[in-house]
Amino acid sequence: MSARPTPLRGPGPQLRPVAPPGTVACPACARRVVAARWEETLGVCPACDHHARVPAATRAAQLADPGTLESVHTAVDDRDPLRFDDGVPYPERILAARAETGATEAVVTARGEVAGVPAVIMSMEFGFLGGSLGSVAGELFARACELAVAERRALLGVCVSGGARMQEGIVSLAQMARCTTGTSMLAAARLPYVAVLADPCFGGVTASFATQADVILAEPRARIGFAGGRVIEQAAHSKLPDGFQTAEFLLAHGMVDAVMPRHELRVGAGRVLRALTGAS
Amino acid sequence: MTEATDTTAREREAIAAVDLARHPGRPRALQVIARILTDFTELRGDRLFGDDRAVVGGTARLGTRWLMVIGQEKGSDALTRAVHNFGMPHPEGYRKAQRLMRLAERFSLPVVCLIDTPAAHAGVGAEERGQAWAISASLSLMLGLRVPIVSAVLSEGGSGGALALGVADRVLAFENAVYTVAPPETCAAILYRDAAQRARAAAAMRPGVDTAHDLGLVDELIPEPEPGAHAHPELVVAALRGALARHLDELCRMTPDELLASRARRHRLAAG
Repeated sequence: MSARPTPLRGPGPQLRPVAPPGTVACPACARRVVAARWEETLGVCPACDHHARVPAATRAAQLADPGTLESVHTAVDDRDPLRFDDGVPYPERILAARAETGATEAVVTARGEVAGVPAVIMSMEFGFLGGSLGSVAGELFARACELAVAERRALLGVCVSGGARMQEGIVSLAQMARCTTGTSMLAAARLPYVAVLADPCFGGVTASFATQADVILAEPRARIGFAGGRVIEQAAHSKLPDGFQTAEFLLAHGMVDAVMPRHELRVGAGRVLRALTGAS
Repeated sequence: MTEATDTTAREREAIAAVDLARHPGRPRALQVIARILTDFTELRGDRLFGDDRAVVGGTARLGTRWLMVIGQEKGSDALTRAVHNFGMPHPEGYRKAQRLMRLAERFSLPVVCLIDTPAAHAGVGAEERGQAWAISASLSLMLGLRVPIVSAVLSEGGSGGALALGVADRVLAFENAVYTVAPPETCAAILYRDAAQRARAAAAMRPGVDTAHDLGLVDELIPEPEPGAHAHPELVVAALRGALARHLDELCRMTPDELLASRARRHRLAAG
């Protein structure tokens, strides 16, 4: 549950090594990869298989059938219910996140087809205050579900988030219920919802819409859980088991349906969407 | 007054309110059940893994009305606090609550939830058994449950761990309780990387239930006499009894479809 990236256990440091122009440095192994190649591998390091974070809009483009993606822009007014100021006023943090990421909020919505199945693709922008769930993100998620219901589309949701947005306090908590109204509508309309959990996925997002999906896919080694590992380690006063809270750990405990490499997601999610919608 | 001392005063006041909400003498779920309900039959176990003592529940009567009561129990002395894990549920606690809610729905019993938790338990076992999955399933279940649900925040409602008993038709709270996205210590750890700055976090987050009440997330505050519920638990519990009876009377006149529609509207709005 965090509005900022939590320090990492698990694979690799998250420092961004500086790369020469036209190349990308893998955040895990620092290997330099030509930008075009990096794009081809969908942001997965060809050397170490690290699944790096990708912007929300890029995600949607990776998952939609070529030529079918259409972004959905919904205007929602910013809110600052607590007039929160932790040194920097919250509205300024929002503006800075917007400038930095180019995304309007932590939830980004698009229409598209996935393996021919009409879908709403919801993806989360981790760069936007840690992908945290505030009232605008909650509203956008709910509207994404409502759009899917109105147009009889499936929902494909890529969840990447530190959890609740602390700057909105109790209002942030209420978003978990608001988002649940969306997933409940989809369920009632018998429209499939497939979630892809990517690194990291924690707190109020995991404890609401991320795990309310009909089918849950997770990216290799993604860290997924409710409480952050640091909090658990401090509370338990003991070392955490190897691979704790990774996608593989959750697969072994029956919490996700599959751990799927990024390059297989479009086909993999598409296949299950086709099965659930009875596409020919 | 300088700005610095003003800030300090505000922080001191905010953290004092949190500490008041955590006063060990405040009425706990089992005490509320014992004082205002009759014919309580405790129902235990999630039928999947175990029985989480941080969540207690069962059938009982409020006056003549049978209902299902489900509460987070913090314990009231060293021994019971340990037994009940300080009111911090594991996944099996939420799954027990789900089981009791389904049972209530099947037999048309209204549900009363007593929220009293700093947060869901953070631990290895809780994560292995799907803490997040258990909470999100409770949110979905409550949103679609075809019987009235009234929740009351007794002392602390913290995190998704509290909301998992809070997706209700009406939410009441004792006026000195807190209802927050996370305990101030956790917020401080996240925002300032320092749990010791809990006073600063408390001042910024406005954790008192008055905030949630102003925002429309809590419907009614149950007044507490000075200096707080711990001094006169019997008075505040009696007031809670009256409020519960009143809200249940109203809600039990609605059809299941009306209930579900108004519950969905309420949570779709989410103070928005």
